Amino acid sequence: MKLSSMGYLIKEGFKNIWNNRMMSLASVVVLVSCLIITGAASLISLNVSTLISKIGDDNELTIYLEYGLSDIDSIKLGPEIKKIQNIESCTYYSREEAIKEYKKTLGNIYESMQGDGNPFGNAYKVQLKDLAKYKDTVKQIKQISGVETVSDRSDIASKLTKLNYFVTLVGSWVVLILGIVTLFIISNTIKMTMYSRRYEISIMKSVGATNAFVRIPFIIEAMMIGLISGLLASGVIIAIYNPVRDAASGVVRLIGNSTLSVEKIWLPTLLLMSGVGVLIGIVGGFISISKYLKKEGGEILG
Amino acid sequence: MIHLENVSKVYPNGTEALKNISIDIENGEFVFIVGSSGAGKSTFLKLLIHEEKATFGNIMVNGHNLMKIKKRRVPYLRRTMGIVFQDFRLIEKMNVYDNVAFAMRAVGTPEKDIKKRVKYVLGLVGLKGKEKRRPSELSGGEQQRVSLARALVNRPEMIIADEPTGNIDPERSFEIMKMLVEINNRGTTVIIVTHEHDLVQEFGGRIIRIDDGEIAEDRYVSTKYHKSALRIDEDTDSDDGEKLPIDDTAETAENQEQKEAVGK
Ligand SMILES: Nc1ncnc2c1ncn2[C@@H]1O[C@H](COP(=O)(O)OP(=O)(O)OP(=O)(O)O)[C@@H](O)[C@H]1O
Ligand SMILES: [Mg+2]
Repeated sequence: MKLSSMGYLIKEGFKNIWNNRMMSLASVVVLVSCLIITGAASLISLNVSTLISKIGDDNELTIYLEYGLSDIDSIKLGPEIKKIQNIESCTYYSREEAIKEYKKTLGNIYESMQGDGNPFGNAYKVQLKDLAKYKDTVKQIKQISGVETVSDRSDIASKLTKLNYFVTLVGSWVVLILGIVTLFIISNTIKMTMYSRRYEISIMKSVGATNAFVRIPFIIEAMMIGLISGLLASGVIIAIYNPVRDAASGVVRLIGNSTLSVEKIWLPTLLLMSGVGVLIGIVGGFISISKYLKKEGGEILG
Repeated sequence: MIHLENVSKVYPNGTEALKNISIDIENGEFVFIVGSSGAGKSTFLKLLIHEEKATFGNIMVNGHNLMKIKKRRVPYLRRTMGIVFQDFRLIEKMNVYDNVAFAMRAVGTPEKDIKKRVKYVLGLVGLKGKEKRRPSELSGGEQQRVSLARALVNRPEMIIADEPTGNIDPERSFEIMKMLVEINNRGTTVIIVTHEHDLVQEFGGRIIRIDDGEIAEDRYVSTKYHKSALRIDEDTDSDDGEKLPIDDTAETAENQEQKEAVGK
């Protein structure tokens, strides 16, 4: 391919998009939806995995004492807890501290809890020596009188694992189906462009244009549709990432500091989605162009 | 040069469109292909441009063996020929200039070469000054001349036309035919499929009649347009009064191109 032709071919590709703008728009809309769903599912899954691994690594337990237990009685329980074999260290965590931290993470909504409204009891934060003995240790702790309950993070982890599995499964199906729909729509868009330019194609072929040359404007058209969609979709995702994350951490406190920040995800998201968009465009384009050039496009005299 | 040896074409549905045809067409010939509808004329042209593959036999066209030609070589075969369509196939959203220039862009010619050449070829077919017109702003004959200019612009060795006057009134058909003869007189092989008896009688040349897939007749008719009539008569001016530039001797840049157009 001569370089001098490239400019011309790229210009033709852009012209195609414009001349065929309704179909191009439809393709972009479908592809953007597909990419947003794919991206959202991947990001959710990625964040849940991060969360799970953080929980798994975390060998800290919180032991909640009975609500009515006095501060002195609570402190007295410290040595008793330390006696358990698997406990590495043990820190007292008073109800005042608990409410302070809770308010810090959730903001002013919980202002009303000040004063007499503290719903927390005193607690201990303990580190385990060996996570494998987790269940036994929890059982032992629960036998100590004055202990109300132990935060059971392994339960959260297993629930999250299930959620992650579900997100991945449903996500993959949705992505697969939308992917096929998108390919179909893009290849139809290109097919329509090719049909509307069938004279041009038959003339190009009659004067001896190579198939590669005939193809390029259409591939560029498909690529541009993919790229535009990728950029739009990643733009949407990046824009709504933080608000969604904040809302989610409003429900589950853990999410706030155990998930990925938007600074970490925006560039990979942008690059990946644009890349995937372009790739889908190229594949969709190639499918329809090859089909066309084999059939109708092969006819010159007709 | 075209060489067909015992060529048969059977379409997938079993129609035997050409039956054991052998024929040679030398460079520089002016050939009419005639015959009744369904005789196999278009099929013959399709074999030449390799739109269809022969079922049996041997075909050589402009140095390409079409029984063995690789797919990626087909474009280069086609660059040796210019095709004129019955329905013109002009692109409405392009003006006359771009319709012709398009054929050069399609084979990757640099823009600066395109400008000069298109201008020259449009002059040759008598469309000087109509570069900016849209196809719909032209008469049928003028449209076909644009299509002819497009077929010529890449300097083909051979012009192939399937019913080039099928959509034009008789007077203008005559003009187109004169142009094709003129192109032939400059050295380009011209092969025309037509139904129009009058034109064949008038312009003569080699006349090949295909009948039911076989060559029924192959004769030569001499007319004033060929051999002794290498120059077009002064009085046969075209509609807008422009004459075809036929003087090859002047040493102008245009004429240099003109020679190239004829060459090969
Ligand atoms: N693609 C095809 N598939 C099957 N049969 C075909 C095909 N193209 C042409 N034929 C048949 O082959 C025969 C020759 O067709 P062809 O088009 O060469 O005729 P023609 O001489 O050009 O006719 P016309 O003057 O009407 O254009 C006809 O019987 C036609 O029906
Ligand atoms: Mg025909």
